[in-house]
Amino acid sequence: MMKTIPEHVRNSWRRRLLAGLLASPLLWLALLSAGRQWPYPALLPLEWTPEHWSRLLTGRSDLAFSLFFSLGLSGGVAVLITALSFGVSRAVAYHRRRRYWLLAAYLPYVFSPVILAACLQYFFLRANLAGAVAGVFVAQVLITMPYGVIFFTNFWNGHIRSLEQLAYTLGSSRWQATLYVLWPAARGTLLTGFFQIFLISWFEYGLTQLIGLGKAPTLTIKVFQYVQEANLFYAALAGTLLALPPVVLLWINKRFVFSRML
Amino acid sequence: MRSRSQPWLLALFALLTVAPLAAGILYALAYSLGLTGLLNTGFTLAHWQAVLGAGVFWQALWFSAAQAVGAISLALALALVVVLWRPGAFQTGLLSFAIYLPLTLPAIVVAFLAFQGLSKSGLLSRIAYALGFIGGLEQFPDLVNDPAGIGILLAHAGMATPFFILLLTQLYEQERVAAYADLAATLGATRRQRILKVQTPLLLRRAFPTVVLYALFVMSAYEIPLLLGSQSRPMVTVLAVEKLQRYNLADIPQAYTISVLYSVVVIGATLWLLGRQKTQ
Amino acid sequence: MIILRSMPALVAAALLWLAGCAPPSAEKPGKAADELLAMPWDSLEHSARNATLTLMMWQGDPLINAYMNDYVAPQLKQRYGITLNIVSGQGAQVVQILMGELQTGKEASAIDLMWINGETFFQLRQIEALWGPWTDKLPHAQYINFENPFIGIDFQQPVAGYECPWGNVQMAIIYDSLKTPRPPADRAELAAFVKANPGRFTIDNQFTGLTFLKALLIDIAGGGQALSGPFNEAKYKQYSAELWAYWRSLQPYLWKQGRTYPEGVAPMHQLFANGELWFTMSNNDCEVDNKVMQGVFGPTARAYVWESGTIQNAHYLGIPRLSANKAAAMVAANFMISPEAQLRKMDPAVWGDGTVLDLNRLPPEWQERFRNLPNRRHAPPREAIQANALMELAPEYMIRLAEDFRREIIQQ
Repeated sequence: MMKTIPEHVRNSWRRRLLAGLLASPLLWLALLSAGRQWPYPALLPLEWTPEHWSRLLTGRSDLAFSLFFSLGLSGGVAVLITALSFGVSRAVAYHRRRRYWLLAAYLPYVFSPVILAACLQYFFLRANLAGAVAGVFVAQVLITMPYGVIFFTNFWNGHIRSLEQLAYTLGSSRWQATLYVLWPAARGTLLTGFFQIFLISWFEYGLTQLIGLGKAPTLTIKVFQYVQEANLFYAALAGTLLALPPVVLLWINKRFVFSRML
Repeated sequence: MRSRSQPWLLALFALLTVAPLAAGILYALAYSLGLTGLLNTGFTLAHWQAVLGAGVFWQALWFSAAQAVGAISLALALALVVVLWRPGAFQTGLLSFAIYLPLTLPAIVVAFLAFQGLSKSGLLSRIAYALGFIGGLEQFPDLVNDPAGIGILLAHAGMATPFFILLLTQLYEQERVAAYADLAATLGATRRQRILKVQTPLLLRRAFPTVVLYALFVMSAYEIPLLLGSQSRPMVTVLAVEKLQRYNLADIPQAYTISVLYSVVVIGATLWLLGRQKTQ
Repeated sequence: MIILRSMPALVAAALLWLAGCAPPSAEKPGKAADELLAMPWDSLEHSARNATLTLMMWQGDPLINAYMNDYVAPQLKQRYGITLNIVSGQGAQVVQILMGELQTGKEASAIDLMWINGETFFQLRQIEALWGPWTDKLPHAQYINFENPFIGIDFQQPVAGYECPWGNVQMAIIYDSLKTPRPPADRAELAAFVKANPGRFTIDNQFTGLTFLKALLIDIAGGGQALSGPFNEAKYKQYSAELWAYWRSLQPYLWKQGRTYPEGVAPMHQLFANGELWFTMSNNDCEVDNKVMQGVFGPTARAYVWESGTIQNAHYLGIPRLSANKAAAMVAANFMISPEAQLRKMDPAVWGDGTVLDLNRLPPEWQERFRNLPNRRHAPPREAIQANALMELAPEYMIRLAEDFRREIIQQ
């Protein structure tokens, strides 16, 4: 039994302080993205400039391209994998040997994406996918599919199964069962899964770097490039852009961002 | 209930998940044994001997494992303290939103921020200087690019703590830990006993699989050690990629050897974890 | 079920097939390439129109990136209709990528043009990944004096038309004249200096740091031409042992006790700008000028060169054998060695990279313009340090030094 928290406590200054602490990395990132010079021992950048952001928004910087590229890539991966893994997860969930299939899904899920990319580089080269956007797309499909299956398998529990059985017993066709029974029940889960898969692709760096060879300029690649150049303000800008979609998703629905499976 | 599409879906699944992993590991094995690769000349155990014999690999493995255990322990301890202090704090209100904010940052951005915060000329150092704790930046301790990997540890712990807080909060509600604690209280347990003997074990037992999974993720981390690590103490993934791309061409088979060894460790650990779950 | 059971067999079969496949010979690019060299230049330029060229280069300096993105790329598009696509990569990375392509018998490389240097050139020639000879075909190549040993010879190997010189630089050490009015001028002074001021000096873990170590090695060997010529194992063993002994004596007084080194010059420049380091280095002697102009370094930054000498070398552009856009690569290279592009590159406000063009071979008005470039105010004039220029060593020295530095120093 959860004790309800009294109003006067709920928004006490302690909570506000903690919330501020939790938000501080994001705020600091955004702050740095508009800075200019930060010599020691100044606590804040000496100059503030909207130049970095204005260059981005007027399309003069290649970050704008990276932003849309990343959105497109991760969006595409998420759409495909949500659909595929949803269907596959049903087959896995209802299978006699469900445990073994799930085990098979966990292995590539836990595996380091960058080492997987290193081992598969040969095959990507052979298939003419290395150094190509299509190659990065395929590579990201390979690392998001396991997660999709693991995530959606939880949906096909006894309750849904009974619903399906009931629908068939009452005479509905496969199509009717899917549209009128399954879809309403699955909508929330599908959406949550979609965004979580999107975020896995959105946050990926090592694999994109190894397979894409720089020809797939995602935002994470840009962050690393600016860090290498020791250009911290641009790196902060790229980082802020990276954090924006997750923050927006968080605003819409917290579950989109958090995964119990990581 | 089997449908006609089931075998095809399962085949697709195998094609996209298991097959690439198996193919990759087998290729890496072949390369490490000298069976394939442009500069390789035929079957040889030399690369395996070189990797297993050199201290670097074992050091890297040990260091990765230690980092994983250290970061997870720290984060878990912190999360336990926070959740047991005020179990409902993150369920509603401002904090239930704010706790998700750190999760919106990917590893590479966390690494970047950790560097800007913890380096000798970073934010923490400037605050220390402003408060008079240090007289100049050379007096600030080495927290990043250091052999002990303090920066890496803190970065990983920083990423893990909000996640564990959320996990434990959910579990607390789900497992009705409060009810058990109340029960123990009526049976005469002190607060300390309730925390140590009832709440903590309940939470940890249920959280165990997820915690171990997260630890494996930390061991496999790449971006954070890439930016915050020291060359004298690389982590396994960074070592493998560097041998693949940075060094002498003759080191490339060693990169594949390390990849195979890494696979054995991670797959073994995952199988152990999931096999264990079966008995529960 | 059947699928699960047959999985091991399927995977094994797939791998056997892959292992048995020999890479098809890359004959097609070869034939077409010969035709390219026989074409008149105008037709070659014309055939390169609308091509997309992928250039792989080190992207660690924002100014160099700006020069490429804001000047070279638009000019190539405007003048020749070539779209330039720049990707990041250098050294062993480039070699590993091309190696993978050769191994899998890829028909067209992912890279068309690359910014390379000595040991990469050496390794690429070892695995026959470079196309050539092609530089004679370029109209602007007439302005380059290939007899100049600093240009026509790359790490003791003749370029033989397999790579085109692009820029010429000499390594210099950068310091703050206010903090260190008398910077150390040789090995002994450096050792004394770091002991008196611990944590202020270091080298980077990449190309520039290794170049500094090479200069130290030459100094230990006796200076000047002591290590020129092909790689000498005995000499290397003897002098590198001394080098490591010297470096170990410095180690406790270096930045982070010499246990870790900055990854590249850019972080090192930032540490210098912050005041954490009192020295930084650059392969480009003019770097200090362009960084001061950009406001990255303070106005009191200066560059200097040791009496015992520092390495001067040229950096080059190469074309992979498997490239499918060789014509566009040649046109781009020709533009990049044109007097306009070289002049702009040499301007300290843009990049400050020395030119590979022989001023005596240029038309008079160009000679004027090169001579009238704004003077360096913080870096020593090239004429002054030319006498201290050392030639690059054979590539094996660099490869061995990199390995041994890692083994002897970092991993101890």
